[in-house]
Amino acid sequence: MNAPERNLNFTSTNRGELARIVLVNEEIKAIVATAFRINLMALNAIFLAKRAGNAALGFGVLSNELRRFAQDLTRHMASLRDMTSGSVGSVTGVVQQQRNSAILAAAIRLSGDGVPGVKDARKRGATRLAEQQAKLRTLDMRLRAAVEETQQLVELGGVLARSAKIEAAYGGGFSPALMQVSTDFAEVIAQIKRSLEVLGKERLVKD
Amino acid sequence: MKQAHCIYQDDTHRWLAIARDPTKPGYIIDTNEYVVVHGEEALLCDPGGIEIFPAVFSALSAECDPTRLAGIFASHQDPDIISSLALWLEFKPDLKCYTSWLWQSFLPHFGGQDSTFITIPDPGMTIRLGGLELQAIPAHYLHSSGNFHLYDPKAKILFSGDVGAALLPSDHNDLYVEDFSRHIRHAEGFHKRWMGSDRAKRDWCERVSRLDIDMMVPQHGAIYRGADVQRFINWFAALEVGVLRG
Repeated sequence: MNAPERNLNFTSTNRGELARIVLVNEEIKAIVATAFRINLMALNAIFLAKRAGNAALGFGVLSNELRRFAQDLTRHMASLRDMTSGSVGSVTGVVQQQRNSAILAAAIRLSGDGVPGVKDARKRGATRLAEQQAKLRTLDMRLRAAVEETQQLVELGGVLARSAKIEAAYGGGFSPALMQVSTDFAEVIAQIKRSLEVLGKERLVKD
Repeated sequence: MKQAHCIYQDDTHRWLAIARDPTKPGYIIDTNEYVVVHGEEALLCDPGGIEIFPAVFSALSAECDPTRLAGIFASHQDPDIISSLALWLEFKPDLKCYTSWLWQSFLPHFGGQDSTFITIPDPGMTIRLGGLELQAIPAHYLHSSGNFHLYDPKAKILFSGDVGAALLPSDHNDLYVEDFSRHIRHAEGFHKRWMGSDRAKRDWCERVSRLDIDMMVPQHGAIYRGADVQRFINWFAALEVGVLRG
């Protein structure tokens, strides 16, 4: 059984687990908000490229690609968000089970192992906890795979932003405006990349 | 640590009072838990809160086989009454919890499933325990809007929940009321503030005056026995309740 045997100090550890999943959830919410911003930026870039006409044909192609990228990113993040909100429920379930098991263990310690029914109660609690932890491990693996996939997508976004910067240089009179837009893209994508790196290091369960 | 005291015994019919925990932190109100044992079955009255579960479980196990627990009687919905429910169910998942119908959908927030709860209608009901018939006595609005006490006609014991409760100083460790006039001072403020309805109070006083009671066992404080039971009922009947001060 995973319940601590000495005292009821389990709460601080479990609070840590909950805090960690809340952190993951908040990080994903932040990226979702940024992805939404990219979508609007890409739309603006498309309009700007249209206004620039022939001078910004290359930039126009890239801004369309960036829009598609933003839409893909939003989809990825929505699926990540679903996964983490499920994880918050699972982690909370584990915390509750651990707390119940720990308090029951404290009661058994005071009463002695000879009390009828305590072995069965311990076994039931341990089984429930193991099931919940296995579920959490599966969620953790899925979340890590999804984060890695999103990281690859964001790499592509970074390449598109760099190419847009190059194309902006050929934008004639619109060049400064196009350069500003492509710089904004690059900055936002770098911000998402950093958030994903933080996310990639977080674990729902301890190894 | 809490200890179980046998306050009544007739063959296999027993009442245990789990009272007084000097090791309990001062910020948690002291509570009494009672176990009715009859033959092979036991019923736990107001099992208490989460934080005191280890102490209550241990005290109960010292005097009675906890696997015999057939049910829990929750006089009302307060945390010091029943917030440990999930832990008792962790130990024995098929436990039944008897409580007012009013709390049927509230208590599951502490734990349990639909099948855990046996709801008591407003007029009360009979609760069977290994051949013994216990009576759930209405005590609505004293203090909870859905409130029951438990009467054992064989042992002549009335479990009276918060009625009769006294907030005793930490050095008052007597299990029974020894000096009614001194004791009742510690009950007065509690009853004035917590008992909200004068009409409900008068109804209850009339109802329990008709019962044959040797002991009245409250959830906080000391146990009333013998003539002190009627003394309490008379005192309560005359007390102005539902007031902040005075």
